[in-house]
Amino acid sequence: MSIMDWINERVNIRGVSEFAFKKKVPVFYGTIWYYLGGVSLFLFAIQLVTGILLLLYYQPGAATAFESVKFIVSKVAFGWLIREVHAWSANLFIFFAFLHMFTVFFAKAYRKPREMTWFSGMLLLILGMGFGFSGYLLPWNELAFFATKIGSDIAGAVPFVGEFLLRLLRAGDEVTGATLTRFYGFHIALFPAFFTLVLGIHLILVQVQGMSIPPELERIPEKHRRYMPFFPNFAIRDALFWLIVLNIIALLAVFFPWELGTKADPLASAPAGIHPEWYFMFMFQTLKLIPGHIFFIEGELFGLLIFAFGTIFWFLVPLLDRKARRGQRSRFWTVIGVVLIVYMIMMTLWGYIV
Amino acid sequence: MKFSNVSLLILIIVAVASSNTPLTKDACIDCHRQLDEEQDVGEQILKNVFQDIHLQVGLSCADCHGGNPEAYDDEDEAMWDNPTFIGAISRRDQPEICGSCHSDPQFMRQYSASVQTDQVDQYWTSQHGKDLLNGNDKVATCTNCHGVHGIYPVKDPRSPVYPLNVPSTCAQCHNDAEYMSEFNIPTDQYYLYRTSVHGKALLDRQSLTAPACNDCHGNHGALPPDVVHIADICGTCHVNNSQLFQKSHLNNIFLKKGFGQCEACHGNHGVKKPSDEYLNWEHGAVCLQCHGNTTGNPKELADLFYHTIDSLKGQISLAEDLMGQAEQKGMEISDLYFPLEKSQKVLIQTRTSIHSFNKDLLLETVKDGFIATDEAIQGASLALTEFDQRRKWLFIFSLIITYLIVVVYFKIKDFDRRHRNKNK
Repeated sequence: MSIMDWINERVNIRGVSEFAFKKKVPVFYGTIWYYLGGVSLFLFAIQLVTGILLLLYYQPGAATAFESVKFIVSKVAFGWLIREVHAWSANLFIFFAFLHMFTVFFAKAYRKPREMTWFSGMLLLILGMGFGFSGYLLPWNELAFFATKIGSDIAGAVPFVGEFLLRLLRAGDEVTGATLTRFYGFHIALFPAFFTLVLGIHLILVQVQGMSIPPELERIPEKHRRYMPFFPNFAIRDALFWLIVLNIIALLAVFFPWELGTKADPLASAPAGIHPEWYFMFMFQTLKLIPGHIFFIEGELFGLLIFAFGTIFWFLVPLLDRKARRGQRSRFWTVIGVVLIVYMIMMTLWGYIV
Repeated sequence: MKFSNVSLLILIIVAVASSNTPLTKDACIDCHRQLDEEQDVGEQILKNVFQDIHLQVGLSCADCHGGNPEAYDDEDEAMWDNPTFIGAISRRDQPEICGSCHSDPQFMRQYSASVQTDQVDQYWTSQHGKDLLNGNDKVATCTNCHGVHGIYPVKDPRSPVYPLNVPSTCAQCHNDAEYMSEFNIPTDQYYLYRTSVHGKALLDRQSLTAPACNDCHGNHGALPPDVVHIADICGTCHVNNSQLFQKSHLNNIFLKKGFGQCEACHGNHGVKKPSDEYLNWEHGAVCLQCHGNTTGNPKELADLFYHTIDSLKGQISLAEDLMGQAEQKGMEISDLYFPLEKSQKVLIQTRTSIHSFNKDLLLETVKDGFIATDEAIQGASLALTEFDQRRKWLFIFSLIITYLIVVVYFKIKDFDRRHRNKNK
């Protein structure tokens, strides 16, 4: 009796493999989009592995965090590589997750019955950004310290709950060692637990409901549609993409390392050019450009309200896009998506260039 | 609030706001204010008097000039017939009249527990004081430096004796060739000082730690420093250099020959930022001023000093360069800043040790600098080697991954072919 048979007698694992072999992936001009979710999953796995390795040496706390990261990158064997891969992989994860979200959006893959897949995916992206925001502070360097200060200040401007949010984030009135410990807790326990749960739901939904195809392809009769088996044809393509991404990460880690900079000094004045991670830049730049007051509302508050409502609006797209739900073309939402992408790119570039 | 209360409040505010003006009535001020109105602004004696520290602490004109400040309508009683009336104080009498309060510790203690009260005694020992006793009225007295009828505390930046203002205050006389002609001393001190390392630090960078005229010459007891004391005076700030020189064999030779210790090599008012070139025998070392074209020991010593320092500087520069390259490549080498800073500190100590004119001391001092630079250079070189190693391993890793990519690509083709055949 083989090990597989032994396991199969107890748990119907063969059912899973049969499912994988039976699963089909539509072949059309947008098949390439299907790899984006997989590569995000691959990058998350890298984050998990490198994150656990970093945990072996990282010591949270205002007096130890910076020193321990310095120790990791200068003294621990391959410590620099683990940190660089963790940092680059984090950025690529956000990049591919954004790309995945937009391709899903333009393919109207959020329409019935995949609303919950969209909701869970959005949650994963928000959590991913939370990972980024909390992880950015962990080396306790000057840039991270002030970026966190500004970021949490922005949270403090939220009406009614701003003060509560600010204190929740900072574990006090100012960014201190207590904030660092709190962010550490978020980054290595709270977010991973929640992320794993939502990711599980997301993956189950994807497997149960199968790959979505754009509405216009749905109109083509089933016998005229093209498919490829998920296993091995699609899975091996996934593997190819992952290998390419892995190679890119290695190149970035060696030639574009993330500088550790100088240790955070809460008493020093903020250095010039403080900015958040690139994926927050469009929001940061927007807040910078908004005038002090718009009508009777404070400019910053106005900006936050726009982002808050914008996120809710985007989150609820599957419910709001009635045409797509009926399998009709919904140009209005496509235009909104294009405008949003152009806006995000322009604001991000503006934030870095000007 | 009632109207009367508002009026009272306004009155209080006006009174507080105008508190620079003494509220008590004073016949001297009453009359001289009228006289001032007929004068040009430059001649008005009460122009700045209300900011004067003496008036601020409650003294009046009469406390210096005598007379009766309460005789409002009687000029004779106020001044001419009043036995206490002094009037304009002669330059000869100024030190003693100022000293009647400033030399009285009992009196002065009420203003400050640590106040100095030996200014007048010191003044009589100064060149200014001696010349004044000899009947020369052109020398500086209290008011020449501190001002008159508008005297500010020394710590007030408006005071002519506030450190930043001292050089220009002294220069009023010492920079005036015509005025100083009878004293037979140079008048280029201010010009020289202005271009010196001290002058630039004090007047351009406004560093109050830099010396003004009085820090070397004394203030109330101002004298040109003796040859014997120059090293002590410079040593007030440059402690190690002064001590090393005074212990050196050159000190006695300098004293015997009447050379001004530090001044002989560094100059006085125009002292420049010292350069290692001071030791460069081939390019006008300062030693050549005395040693001329002699060779032998002096040249060998100067050459040793010069080349040792030059060599340490070269090592530091190499370490900085390698560390810069390593940092540019993203290597973490911040720990190497400790030995680098140490070597920079040793460089300063080595330069200081030159003042001993002792070869052994210099070599002993510089040793730690070379050890520290070696550590920094080795660390940076190691980081650069590691970077090259990383690139090498990356190349190998990429090669493996690329091979896998190619393998997977052909596998995809194979699977697709099988899938097509199956569908047929």
